[in-house]
Amino acid sequence: MSRILLVEDDPDIRHLVSYKLTRGGFDVVETADGLAALRAAREDPPDLVLLDVRMPRMSGIEVCRELRAGPLPATVPIIMLTARSRPQDLEQGYAAGATEYIIKPFSPRELQERVEAALARVNS
Amino acid sequence: MLGLFTVVLEVLAGVVAVTVVAIVGVRVARRTRHRRQAALAAGPRRALLAFVADNGEHGAQELVAIPDEAWRAAEPGALALLGKLRGEAHLALVSVFLQRGIARTALGNLHSHSRVKRARAAQVLGDLELRQAVPELCRLLTDRHDEVRVVAVRALGRIGDPAAAWRIIASLDRSDPVPSLLATHTLVQLGAEAEVTLSAALDHPQARVRAVCLDALGLLGATGSVDRMARVLREDSYLDVRVAAATNLGKLGTRSALEPLQQALSPSRPAALRAAAARALGELGAPSAVPILADLLADDEFQVAHEAAHALRRLGPAGADALAAEIDAGRTGSGAHARPSASASHAQEALALSRVGHGERVGAGA
Repeated sequence: MSRILLVEDDPDIRHLVSYKLTRGGFDVVETADGLAALRAAREDPPDLVLLDVRMPRMSGIEVCRELRAGPLPATVPIIMLTARSRPQDLEQGYAAGATEYIIKPFSPRELQERVEAALARVNS
Repeated sequence: MLGLFTVVLEVLAGVVAVTVVAIVGVRVARRTRHRRQAALAAGPRRALLAFVADNGEHGAQELVAIPDEAWRAAEPGALALLGKLRGEAHLALVSVFLQRGIARTALGNLHSHSRVKRARAAQVLGDLELRQAVPELCRLLTDRHDEVRVVAVRALGRIGDPAAAWRIIASLDRSDPVPSLLATHTLVQLGAEAEVTLSAALDHPQARVRAVCLDALGLLGATGSVDRMARVLREDSYLDVRVAAATNLGKLGTRSALEPLQQALSPSRPAALRAAAARALGELGAPSAVPILADLLADDEFQVAHEAAHALRRLGPAGADALAAEIDAGRTGSGAHARPSASASHAQEALALSRVGHGERVGAGA
C-alpha cells in the first residue's frame, strides 16, 4: 500500500482528500503544517507528497525545498496543491523540486487519478 | 469625608466586579455557543465531505434532509468548500445547495441594505456558478461600495457567461473602477466567446478600458482580433495603449502579428513602443524576426537594444547564433585592452542569461 504524506492547513480539504485517497486504497498521513510534515517525512519517508502551497509559518515551497534537500529522494513525486496558477508561481514550485501541480478549485476524482498516475510513473 | 471615600471605593469595586462577571459570562456563553455549533455541524460536515469525496454518488437525500439548525451550523464550512472544488464534486454540492434553497436566499440578499450581505450573496452565487444570477450580478457592478463590485466581478468570472463581458467592460468606465488586473482576469475567464465584445471595445473612448481589453485578448490568444489590435498599435492616441497592443500582439503567437510589430520598430516611433515591439517579437517566436532584432542590437536607445537582445535569446538557436555573431563582431581594441561594443554587451548579457536558464532547467530536471 503506497504511503502518502498530505500537508494541508485547511481541515476540510485535508479531511476530504484524506477520505478520498484512503477509500482509494492509500495509506494517508495527515499533517497541518510544514514543520510537522518535515518531521513525518524524516521518520518514515512517504511514496508521494501532496503539499499545499499557502500555509502559516512555513510555505509549501519552503517545505518542498527542505524535503528535496533532506529526507526525500528526487524520485518521490511532490504534487503541489495551490490556488495560484500564474506561470511564475508554478515555476517557483518546479524550481523548489515539485513534480506537478493541482490547481484549486480542484476535482477530488482528478486528484486521485493524478496521484495514481504519478505513483505508476515511479513504479514503471 | 472618610465615609464618602469608602462609599466611592465600594461603588467602584462593585462596578469592577459586575464588569468582570459580565465579561466572563459573555465569554462562557460565546464558548458554549461555539461548542454547540461545532457539535451540531460535526455530523453534517462529515456527511458533506464523504458526499463530495464520492463525487455526489451517495448521500444527497440525507444532506437535503438535515434539520435546518444543524445545516445552518455547517453551512459556512460547506460554502467555503464550494469555492475550492470543481468537476462532479462541485456539481453534486451545488445540487444539494439548490435543493436547500441557498440560491433563492442569496438572490434575495443581493438587494439587502447591508453591503456585507450583498457581497456574501454575490460570492455564493458565483461559487454556485449559477447562470440565472448573471443579470442580478451585473446590476451589482454599479453598486456604490467597491467591495461589493469586486465580489460581483469575481462571481461573474467564476460563472463564466460571456454575456456579462460588455457589462464588465462598461463598469470600468467610472472614477473608481475595479482593479485592472481583476477585470482582465475575469474577462479571460469568460472564454473565447467574449472575443467579439472585447474586440469591439477597442474603440471605447476610455484608454484604460482599451488597455484592459487588449490584455484580455492577448491572454485569450485571440488571433481573430489581430487586425483590430494592429490598428490600435498604429493609431491609438495613448502611448500606454499602443504599448499594450504591441505586448499582446506578441502573446498571440501568430504570423499575422509579425508585420504590425515590425512597423512599430520604425525609428520615428517612441522608444518605449519600439522596446515593447522588440520584446513582443521574441514572445511571438518567429525566427524570421532574427535579422530585424539583430540590427536593433546597435540601436541608440538602450531600452530597445536591450529588449532586442533578450528577444533574440527567446528565439532559440537562430537567435543565439545572432547574439554570438554580434559578440564576435563587436569587440573593439585588441589583446588585453579588447572591450565589447554596446551592442556586443547586450548580446553577451542575453547569451549568459540564456546559458544560466538552460543550466537551471538541467539542474531541476536531474
